Amino acid sequence: MTPWRATRRGLPWLLFAVQSIACGRPGVGGAGATLRLALINDPIMNPVLASELGSILINKVIFPGLLRPDSAGKPAPDLALSWEITPDQRRYTFHLRPNVVWHDGTPFRAEDVKFTFDQILDPKSGSLLWSDFSVIDQVEVADSLTVRFELKAPFAPFLTLLGHNAGIAPAHAFTGRAMLDATDFNRTKPIGTGPFQVSSAVSGSSITLSANPRYYGPAPKLARVVFKIVPSQNAQVAQLRAGELDLVTIEPGQLAQLAGDSSVKVSQVSVPQHYYVGFNQQLPLFKPAVLRRALGMAVDRQALIDGVLKGSADFPTGTIPRASQGFFADELPPLQYDTTKALALFAEAGWRRGSGGRLQNAKGEPLRLTLLVDKGNPTREQAAVAIQQDFKRVGVDLTIRAMEFASMVRDYIQTKRYEAYLIWWNTPSDPDQYGYYGTGQANNDVSYSNRRADSLLRAGRATNDVAARKRAYAAFQALELEDPPVLVLFYPREIQARSARLRGVPPLGIRDALRWVEQFELAPE
Amino acid sequence: MFRFLVQRVLYGALTLWVVTTATFLLIQAAPGGPAILADPKLGPVERHAIEVRLGLDQPLGIRYLTWHRNVARGDFGRSFLYQTPAIDTIRGRLPNTVLLTGLALVAALGFAMPLAVAVGRRPGGWLDRSLAAINFTTLAIPAFWFGIVLILLVAARWRLLPAGGMSTPGLEDDMVDRLRHLVLPVLVLALPLASEVFRYARSGVIAGRRAPHLTPARARGLRERGVEWRHVVRNTLVSLLTVVGLQVPLLVGGAAVTETVFSWPGMGRLGVEAALGRDYPMVMAITVIVAVTVVGANLLIDLLYGLADPRVRLA
Repeated sequence: MTPWRATRRGLPWLLFAVQSIACGRPGVGGAGATLRLALINDPIMNPVLASELGSILINKVIFPGLLRPDSAGKPAPDLALSWEITPDQRRYTFHLRPNVVWHDGTPFRAEDVKFTFDQILDPKSGSLLWSDFSVIDQVEVADSLTVRFELKAPFAPFLTLLGHNAGIAPAHAFTGRAMLDATDFNRTKPIGTGPFQVSSAVSGSSITLSANPRYYGPAPKLARVVFKIVPSQNAQVAQLRAGELDLVTIEPGQLAQLAGDSSVKVSQVSVPQHYYVGFNQQLPLFKPAVLRRALGMAVDRQALIDGVLKGSADFPTGTIPRASQGFFADELPPLQYDTTKALALFAEAGWRRGSGGRLQNAKGEPLRLTLLVDKGNPTREQAAVAIQQDFKRVGVDLTIRAMEFASMVRDYIQTKRYEAYLIWWNTPSDPDQYGYYGTGQANNDVSYSNRRADSLLRAGRATNDVAARKRAYAAFQALELEDPPVLVLFYPREIQARSARLRGVPPLGIRDALRWVEQFELAPE
Repeated sequence: MFRFLVQRVLYGALTLWVVTTATFLLIQAAPGGPAILADPKLGPVERHAIEVRLGLDQPLGIRYLTWHRNVARGDFGRSFLYQTPAIDTIRGRLPNTVLLTGLALVAALGFAMPLAVAVGRRPGGWLDRSLAAINFTTLAIPAFWFGIVLILLVAARWRLLPAGGMSTPGLEDDMVDRLRHLVLPVLVLALPLASEVFRYARSGVIAGRRAPHLTPARARGLRERGVEWRHVVRNTLVSLLTVVGLQVPLLVGGAAVTETVFSWPGMGRLGVEAALGRDYPMVMAITVIVAVTVVGANLLIDLLYGLADPRVRLA
């Protein structure tokens, strides 16, 4: 027999082998249904230490917080059933839910809450939540089901932040050891109070959670939740279409792939994020508000939203997005794309069109700037190109520099060695933005400074009176149209693609929706 | 022979030192620094605490010396990203990669060798010409594209095989389930490998068939198939060893693209994540493991040359 004939003779056998291992898909759905979600890497299952999105997502299922956001993003009871706030708004007393037990059977007590926040407030613990809660002066246990927080100053976002990423961790799991050293807990055997508990963790592959029979709320409608590690977003979409994942968030560019697939439902949810171009206001060039306004009017943001984002975003007014608990100033007319007005504003700032239509100042220097953007995300890279083209139309010469995200943040933004960059903020749903746009604040990377903005933002965070806050933030958003801290590009909507069988997901971003996972349901196939 | 071994082991140690030192300096010099510090939300307090915890507040020279001292004790440090000992994660991932790439290599040899022998019999024939065309195609197709297309067709449309991962969660001990997960990634990895092996083997076979020592073999009454497999194929083994030897880094270092597309928890994905995240301890640990294996494998292949080709003398 010649070798060629050998392969020919082997072929049917090979086909048979492939066929026999190809059959027998494990069944899914029904009453004992398993929900499958994607993570891009092994998570850290500890709410205090979690650093990236994947860890934050799984921790929302394992570790409930004192509060959780309702479908409007406002804080609602979870481990805390009720609370009182003293008139000076500096002492919060929480009454905890009775008869709650940890996944290992130990009773949940006020001491666990104190322990969690003591860890959060000690940066040596590895906590990444310190800046959210640095306003806490101390946490006291009044009795085993009552806990008191003393704040250094009134702080309106406090309740929202408690329902955001601050899951409660069990004190008894960390006796005699630091959180960072509790590798078994953080990686394979976490203990929470949530509706699902970890039953197995296969490094690099998946984490399986099973319904917690002792969960304090309504019994979960799923038997299991599996977080599969699927690092590539294209692979996530492919697995969704193959019926191997039930819910993924996708990029606008992936929408076309899912069109016409009846097994997949796509929905868009407003999330508290704003994408923007930051201009370095330490540079004399960007100090005049009129120039920043002119640059804003020169960008056709509606075209950007329709073209690059395929409509999956809202047109922006200021830095406070639509999904901000009703604080978005709906009545304010946002700056519209208008090259004529933009050119008039450029002229007011001292930039007129010279040879070849280029803007130049009195000395004849052209208006030239470099925009930094992180490499690898098509939406942001395409947005940068759209801005470049719009700027060119009014005579602004923009160079794009794409680089790794970490390098952009650490080597350029934080060292202030940049002219402009394209980035976004993910915020809690509270409208407080003092940390981002208050003079000299830690996250004010653009060095924006406006005294009236400072006082409005301070007023907005210093009172729990919703009407007073609304007035402060409305005034701030109006001010932003005159003196824009950044060029807000759009408020993205999170695009959720999910199995048509999946029900009960509240209309929230995935981060907040997972706080309600016990209500998720998979219809039988 | 003994002198040869000692010499090569010394060379190997030197290579290892150069590779680790260069990697250490390069990864530290890479822009951005550890990803854990790149969250724009981090305030100065958290950032400083992290720097102290990871030892990044120490001067570079001290860190370099500390790393050597720790490695000498078998301590590769704690991964920045995973916050667990780097070597533990590698221990988990290495077998996955060896399984995937090893099977791909075997499959590639299994595809390519019989075809090369068949083509060698009639170079320029229809089989040769069509294989040359296929060859270019398989070498030119990028793995990320081919992988996604296979997933969309085989897994999403026809639902024949799983779209990714090593096993269905909960069925980790099911051999059939594991095999089903292997088919697509092995195929994607094996095709370009087979093309490469085929090219070497084909020219080896064609050259081998013209060798004068075949005439006495035929004269002894050896049948053509015996001539092909005993003399011709053996002749091509030397060049094949080189090709296979070149795949050893892949065997332990993993195939990052294929592993990512198929969500395969292997060394390639781990390495790319560690490099992108500037996970210094993980990058260094992977470098040491891969470098030691590659240096060792090269030594082994040098020894094998002697077996495959009697003309090679080790001295």
